[in-house]
Amino acid sequence: MNPKLDSAKLGVAVRISRIDWDQMSHDEGRRLREFGLMEGIEVTPLHRGSLFSRDPLALAIGRMQVIIRARQAAMIEVAPTAP
Amino acid sequence: MTAAIPMIALVGNPNAGKSSLFNALTGARQKIANYPGVTVERKAGHASFADGRPMSLVDLPGSYSLTPASPDEAVTRDVVLGQQAGERRPDALIVVVDAANLDNHLCFALELIALGLPTVVALNMLDLAERDGLTLDPAIVSRELGVPVVPTVAVRKRGLTDLLAAVDGAILSHQTQATAQSAPPPSDVALHQRARAIARAATLSEAPVRRWTQRVDAVLLHPALGFLILLGLMFVMFQGVYAWSEAPIGWIEGGIAALQGAVDAALPDGFLRGLIIEGILGGVGSVIVFLPQILILFLFILLLEASGYMTRAAFLMDGVMAKVGLSGRGFIPLLSSFACAVPGIMATRAIPDAKDRLTTILIAPLMTCSARLPVYTLIIGAFIPNTTVGGSPVGLQGLVLFGLYLSGIVGALVVALVLRRTVAKGNAAGFMMEMPRYQWPRLRDVAIALWQRTWIFLRRAGTIIFVTTIALWLLLSYPKVPTGSAESQVDYSVAGRIASGLEVVVAPIGFNHDIALALIPAMAAREVAVSALATANAIEAGDDEEAMAQSLSERLQGRWSIATALAFLAWFVFAPQCISTIAITKRETNGWKWPLFMVGYLFALAYAAAGITYWTAVAFGLG
Ligand SMILES: Nc1nc2c(ncn2[C@@H]2O[C@H](COP(=O)(O)OP(=O)(O)OP(=O)(O)O)[C@@H](O)[C@H]2O)c(=O)[nH]1
Ligand SMILES: [Mg+2]
Repeated sequence: MNPKLDSAKLGVAVRISRIDWDQMSHDEGRRLREFGLMEGIEVTPLHRGSLFSRDPLALAIGRMQVIIRARQAAMIEVAPTAP
Repeated sequence: MTAAIPMIALVGNPNAGKSSLFNALTGARQKIANYPGVTVERKAGHASFADGRPMSLVDLPGSYSLTPASPDEAVTRDVVLGQQAGERRPDALIVVVDAANLDNHLCFALELIALGLPTVVALNMLDLAERDGLTLDPAIVSRELGVPVVPTVAVRKRGLTDLLAAVDGAILSHQTQATAQSAPPPSDVALHQRARAIARAATLSEAPVRRWTQRVDAVLLHPALGFLILLGLMFVMFQGVYAWSEAPIGWIEGGIAALQGAVDAALPDGFLRGLIIEGILGGVGSVIVFLPQILILFLFILLLEASGYMTRAAFLMDGVMAKVGLSGRGFIPLLSSFACAVPGIMATRAIPDAKDRLTTILIAPLMTCSARLPVYTLIIGAFIPNTTVGGSPVGLQGLVLFGLYLSGIVGALVVALVLRRTVAKGNAAGFMMEMPRYQWPRLRDVAIALWQRTWIFLRRAGTIIFVTTIALWLLLSYPKVPTGSAESQVDYSVAGRIASGLEVVVAPIGFNHDIALALIPAMAAREVAVSALATANAIEAGDDEEAMAQSLSERLQGRWSIATALAFLAWFVFAPQCISTIAITKRETNGWKWPLFMVGYLFALAYAAAGITYWTAVAFGLG
């Protein structure tokens, strides 16, 4: 099993290796791609959750920061970035 | 092209600065704030080219593509594709992109350019890109996109002349060329690759992403600390509403009293003097004194919106909102509802999930809107001692106010939980949102927005509150009680008799005749509850010098028990006393079903909450 974005270490850039598009709704998948989340892209998880839950997750993609839910992050496989 | 005035639409990603450009070009004052999803409907305005020819400019909700995810984005698609009922298709597009985020914003730009309309790209927020150490070459972007690219800084009105000249040129050359593009739309992955390639080519130099934003976020989004800061901010807000408004309220009260004195001296006793002193100055004036408090509240909300904190608050609240089946996205309209539920309900258009949106609409009236402030303040001022809590600088009155806001919020969450399991059942709502960069709130924008609020409030006081108060004054003044009768004028009047009928229904929850009298006109606007009490009080006092000298809150202290006052407050936390909210709910849900449901459940809750409060207070000996 490859590591997933929902448990990736905060502050460390990772590369998206695979996204399980079939597990999410069509709209969900499209919005992820509209944010630029797709295979081959580098992202950095920045903040996770608040007092009450592990949700949501804030990510940096290039110069943009986006918020997604852990459920979606769990469908995103990541690999370490090439050094 | 026809001889008609050209229509030009501003399109682009959320928060790119479309409305800022629209305002700069048309002189309009559309709402601008630093979070995605501010504009939720089409707005048109007038502007002119350099040579004076007029154009019609259209501001649109931000969107990521022409495939909408929420109702506001659907408007953008419909307008751009010419599918909006009753509106023609725009003659040209100004695509607004954030210069510091070309990777993402160029995707939508590419999709829009492919439509084949005359198009110009506004490379906006160039100042922020420079602040972040980014140097771009607009010429390269233009070459790659095949349309003119004009650097702009909307908030400083930079680049506007060039932008309009480019639009003019694009429309002209389009006429001669008549390009027809009908290639199949590229996939979103392909669009992104192309966008990134263009951004890379156009970036001359780039500094690493600025660290300070991340350092601020490390504190503000900290799982525990961030949450405490959010609570702390709200707490300071409500303390501030009290602490900083005392002096200006005093000035307004003084001014009104002076006016009343002057009228009293100038006019003979009679209809006109009564109308002016009791109805207008006493009634409407009793509402106007709350302007300073309302402005302080708005100032806070404006600062939160302009700085970029709003999305952080949504992030922090998402965990709580998810537990009741909503999302952090819904927190933004709810926070706006602290100002007024009407724009709050409109702002829910940015929520993608229909059931999530419906639930947010239905609970928005539970957020304590600014129209409730006068009611709360009057009653708190009369019945809660103006002391601090246990030697700390925390004021007891501010604390009670905070408690009332909190009751509304907790009530809303509980209601949402129930609704999401019953009438608004559906999949768990998602939460995907872009987080804007921080910006310093612009003094000018904040000042203008505050002035707008002042104007709206005064207009409200001068129209709906004025009319209802005068109508009530008339109904309270006639028929005149026969001289020598033991009954008071208020009880004898038409309004008084209606109130006596209602009193039977509300007596079990501790409401007296005063309250019964205030409840019905307060349906028009909540503040009228205050002016109604003031008017009835002024009429009752009549020419009794001693009674006239007493303030409204002093009079209430003598007439109401604490249990009754608390029950009245509890009522106002829940009661749907606002016609505009009911009307906007009907519009946004396309029918009478949901507004009626909302009114029903809110009245039921209000009755129960007031009753429980009253009976508990009586049990503790406060009756
Ligand atoms: N520094 C800087 N800030 C800008 C510029 N243009 C807009 N802003 C700010 O960016 C934020 C968003 O501006 P809006 O005009 O509301 O953006 P919008 O595109 O209408 O956003 P939506 O209606 O949500 O789609 C506000 O805080 C503006 O003050 C600019 O050129 N420079
Ligand atoms: Mg806008």
